[in-house]
Amino acid sequence: MSSEAGQGLEAAAALPPRPAGETAASRPTRPPEAQSPARAAGGTLSLLGSELLTLFRRRRTWAMLGALALIPILIAVATRIAGGSSPGRGPAFLDQVTGNGLFVGVTAMTVAIPLFLPLTIGVVAGDSIAGEASHGTLRYLLIAPAGRIRLLVVKYAAAAAFCAAATLTVVIVGTLIGWALFPVGPVTLLSGATVSVGEGLLRLLAVAAYVTVSLLGMSAIGLFLSTLTTVPVGAMAATAILAVVSQIMDALPQLEALHPWLFTHHWLGFGDLLREPIVWDSFADNALLQGGYIVVFGALAVGRFLTKDVLS
Amino acid sequence: MRARDTGASRRFTRWIPAIAAPIAIGVGVVLVPMQANAAVDLPDLSPAELLELAASSEVDALSGTIEQTSELGLPDLSGLSGAMGGGSGDGDGPAAGDDAASATDLDDLISLATGTHTARVYVDGDDARLQVLDRLAERDVYVSADGVWVYDSPEQAATHVAVDTGSFEALEQKLEATYGTDAEARADELRAELEAELGAPLPTPEELLDQALAKLDETTEVSVGTDARVAGREAYELVLEPRDAETLVGEVAVAIDGETGAALAASITARGSDEPAFSVAFTDVSFEAPDASVFAFTPPEGTAVTEHVVTAPTLAELEQGKAEAESGAKGERMPQPVVHGEGWTTVVELTAGEGAAAGLDPEASAMLDTLTQRVDGGRMLSTSLVTVLLTDDGRVLAGAVTIDHLVDVAGR
Repeated sequence: MSSEAGQGLEAAAALPPRPAGETAASRPTRPPEAQSPARAAGGTLSLLGSELLTLFRRRRTWAMLGALALIPILIAVATRIAGGSSPGRGPAFLDQVTGNGLFVGVTAMTVAIPLFLPLTIGVVAGDSIAGEASHGTLRYLLIAPAGRIRLLVVKYAAAAAFCAAATLTVVIVGTLIGWALFPVGPVTLLSGATVSVGEGLLRLLAVAAYVTVSLLGMSAIGLFLSTLTTVPVGAMAATAILAVVSQIMDALPQLEALHPWLFTHHWLGFGDLLREPIVWDSFADNALLQGGYIVVFGALAVGRFLTKDVLS
Repeated sequence: MRARDTGASRRFTRWIPAIAAPIAIGVGVVLVPMQANAAVDLPDLSPAELLELAASSEVDALSGTIEQTSELGLPDLSGLSGAMGGGSGDGDGPAAGDDAASATDLDDLISLATGTHTARVYVDGDDARLQVLDRLAERDVYVSADGVWVYDSPEQAATHVAVDTGSFEALEQKLEATYGTDAEARADELRAELEAELGAPLPTPEELLDQALAKLDETTEVSVGTDARVAGREAYELVLEPRDAETLVGEVAVAIDGETGAALAASITARGSDEPAFSVAFTDVSFEAPDASVFAFTPPEGTAVTEHVVTAPTLAELEQGKAEAESGAKGERMPQPVVHGEGWTTVVELTAGEGAAAGLDPEASAMLDTLTQRVDGGRMLSTSLVTVLLTDDGRVLAGAVTIDHLVDVAGR
């Protein structure tokens, strides 16, 4: 981490064409050659802390989390008023909601995964660098003894934190509203086995973890796209569109050979956590795939960001 | 000028990770499976020795993941229910134990016969479980001494098929009383027949091997292929090639575990094709007894449970059935299939009733028209492995044979 940060600093200093103002400003703040690792790590943490604070203080973040929270609320209230659906109709698990309120969270998750979650993640990840650039705050961030790689890492970590917050919002709000409106009891899993409420809640958390991991690859793509432009809306839209395109490709049988490589391929695989015994294969496959996307697009973002002329 | 050069080269070095990362991943993707396959070299065996190894296999406990792929070249059957089940029902569906076959079950069968499916299999002695992993859904078949449970999660329906052992014992005693010593063997045979019908033939590689071995005769060339790694285990490959030119089957390959002799993978390749038309293989397997809790099933609350008890036929029914079979009269409820030929070119003939195709509703009839082609004396549906002929006089012939052979058999 510290060496990366050091590289970043060097890179920031080494870029040839650069407005005089920034160079002048950045030089005096450049720290002594050997910054201690502990200080670098502490710096990254404090930077991450302030980044998270900024992210979760924004009204937009709360609006998006609120919109996500509306999905389970809408499902629960509609089911409560209009009655349950028969098996096999509507989104998966919807028919189980009337019998057990804990299914509201899972139903909401199946509804949110194809579009709503990618949209919000696209907004946060696509905004990460481009947003700062469009506000003219990017160069100030780089003036601070931060380093470009460290800034990327922090921005990515904040986007990942938002992924977790978004999925947890859906699951937790779903569970609460389900608990309020429907009876809650032992959970019937896909295999027909029944587990206690406590284990059911644990499985819901595992589903949230699975979906969070699923969204990490997309966040890396968003981060990369965000380094390409100073127009945040462009990066946001491109990220969300890529998620939809990937899902469309996943639905075309003609592209079967490509399917295992699409970052959306395992998105609905969280059902494997609701089996008895749990099948971990898809969790592992998904994590590996998302890891690959993080490495590739993370490296692309680093390459682009280190060579980018930061003018704003 | 010089400064700009170093700037450019520095610029390039910044991109190195971005270039290296995809390359590293690509190399990993290519190398890992290659490495897994390269190192396999088992002691050479003759085909006969390999068959013996397979036959002596005593695996009665295992758990593993099975992947089944079908590329039968079938037309898209998703919109088809009920009209043509006989043709495509060759896939050993888990619902096979459920003889209250409805259109939904048929859809299940069709869906199993096309595309890729992943299932987990657990076997321990008499207990077995097949867990078909669908997306956000699951179908389960639990087999135990108490009978068979079929559970369908999207339908929230469970079917319990139980064998009334009491009635079978009573029948056995009666038979013994009537026929003497000969009866026991007969009852056993009968029971085996019924159990085979109920036991939901799991589409395991083992099952396919047994079926293939049953066809072993002079019409088949048996050879040992290249050793490979299947499900992380070193395996022999047994290759069966039909010599008969009339069949569509090009070759049947079975991967046999070098250590236990259990079948780990099986595939059927159509003649003239490179890719298997049907393959079923373990992607991971363990020969340790699975936890007993895996086999336990109690229908959850809110599930529609269908009870289905199979009782032994009474002695009178047996006599009647035997008499009918001897006199050649076919039961009206269930047309008995006629089998022509043997080995690879076996053709099964069913009487569907006069003008069966004509009796369909217009929609199904239109579908039948798009699926099938007009041939001399009827309509045929051909896939890469199976050909089905619907003759104009209401017979259905099916077999893994060329269409010419099928027409020929129909004309006899």
